[in-house]
Amino acid sequence: MVRKPPVGAGLGFRRELIETLKAGVPESIRFFELAPENWAGMGGRSGKDLRHFTERHPFVCHGLSLSLGGPSPLDETLLRRIKAFMAEHGMGLYTEHLSWCSDDAHLYDLLPIPFTGDAVRWVADRLRRAQDILEMKIGIENASYYVAPPGAEMSETEFISAIVAEADCLLHLDVNNIYVNSRNFGFDPLEFMTALPLEKTCYIHVAGHYTEPDGLLVDTHGAEVIDPVWGLLEEAYRRTGPVPTCLERDTNIPELEELVGELQLISGILDRHLDARKDAA
Amino acid sequence: MNAELLPFQQFQIAFGRRIRDPKRVARPKGVPARRMAIYEELLFNNLTGFLDACFPVGRAVLGEVRWRRLNRAFFRDWRSPTPWFREIPREFVRYLQEGTIRQPLPAWFAELAHYEWAELTIDISDAQIPAHDPEGDLIANRAVLNPALLSLAYAWPVNRIGPAYRPRKPQATYLLVYRAATGKVAFAASNPVTARLLALIAEGFSGRDACLAIADELKHPDPEKLVAHGRALLEELRRLGVILGAKP
Repeated sequence: MVRKPPVGAGLGFRRELIETLKAGVPESIRFFELAPENWAGMGGRSGKDLRHFTERHPFVCHGLSLSLGGPSPLDETLLRRIKAFMAEHGMGLYTEHLSWCSDDAHLYDLLPIPFTGDAVRWVADRLRRAQDILEMKIGIENASYYVAPPGAEMSETEFISAIVAEADCLLHLDVNNIYVNSRNFGFDPLEFMTALPLEKTCYIHVAGHYTEPDGLLVDTHGAEVIDPVWGLLEEAYRRTGPVPTCLERDTNIPELEELVGELQLISGILDRHLDARKDAA
Repeated sequence: MNAELLPFQQFQIAFGRRIRDPKRVARPKGVPARRMAIYEELLFNNLTGFLDACFPVGRAVLGEVRWRRLNRAFFRDWRSPTPWFREIPREFVRYLQEGTIRQPLPAWFAELAHYEWAELTIDISDAQIPAHDPEGDLIANRAVLNPALLSLAYAWPVNRIGPAYRPRKPQATYLLVYRAATGKVAFAASNPVTARLLALIAEGFSGRDACLAIADELKHPDPEKLVAHGRALLEELRRLGVILGAKP
């Protein structure tokens, strides 16, 4: 299938939304994102549904199970399945989390990597191997986390920058994750963001989160995006220029119209930065 | 693998152990209790989401407390090698079949879970429909089976088990789970002869040869009679969509 590169604003592809989307995909959804671990090798009605949409719309592959920072050997079988799946559906962009999700077996959620020199080399080696197998650069996403693993030898931005440089990979910037972490660990989100290798940004995530009664923010992707996160997105575009941006909504999924409203906000901010670029040129 | 672990990996192992077993494994040094608890909750809830979705009957017959205790033991004691979320239920079934489980469970529980998993796995099977002649003769030729089909044999009546029915005695139960032409999962009652016939067809026997082999196994006095019976059976399986047709 011909590759369809994502542009503009996109939405996480969820089973809950499929029936509504079949009746018509709103113009404000310029692409979809999915987790290959949820969709590759799916037959039956799910497989048919996916095919229906990938034939008509660009899709981005956003992985969950690669465990880039994990201690077990890199899952090359998974990578080869993902590669074939992407080719089958014309996907050209694959991103993964800078995290780990398995020790000697799968734990099925994303966990924080200690920011050490050994970890930089470990992850960068695995990323290079993964990029060789996929024959493309991977975007790594700055993760949300609730525990700052002990033993850090550097800051998180230094950690991410070192890995991006050593692996020669791309950055998948998640502005909500920066915001959630900044609140949970007390740092300035803009300062953090600008210390990242933003020139390598291939893709952006924006999402909502949940605030626990004690004030801890949990990255649920289950609420609307809040103003400080929109502000960060705008600041990101000022530095990266227009980059395809996905709205993540994984829990507490509202009517499509509500999500469309948020996608229009993304497009509005993106357009402003497109115009700014034209003016500057 | 512990001998060669880098320091950051030693943290990962300790962190993973704690997430799997918060009751008995100490928090890794330097990790605050409140933050640790978030992970313990997030990961266990994530896992139970997949189990709840696949095993509604198993959950209902055990009740919430026993079900969650079993989920916890699975998370703690089983090492799941699959990166695919849809295969978590298969791992749970394997755990019930092969794992060491101290919690008392009904004798039929593993079979019930297997039957619930069968529905999921047929629903998402990506097996491709092979070439077949829908009208072809099923006795003279080899029948083409629905590729999304499980021919199942259980010691317990798993299809009837629920909160209102908990069998005390085994009762051999043969069932077919398959994807119907509508795309939906269909269920049909089966029996030992049907199960044997389907197994022989899967091995490459023509309808006639399969019936004669069964007649031989049963020491049937009139094999041709069994072939006639077999034809009716095969036609019924075609009508149901268990058999798609004959090899072209």
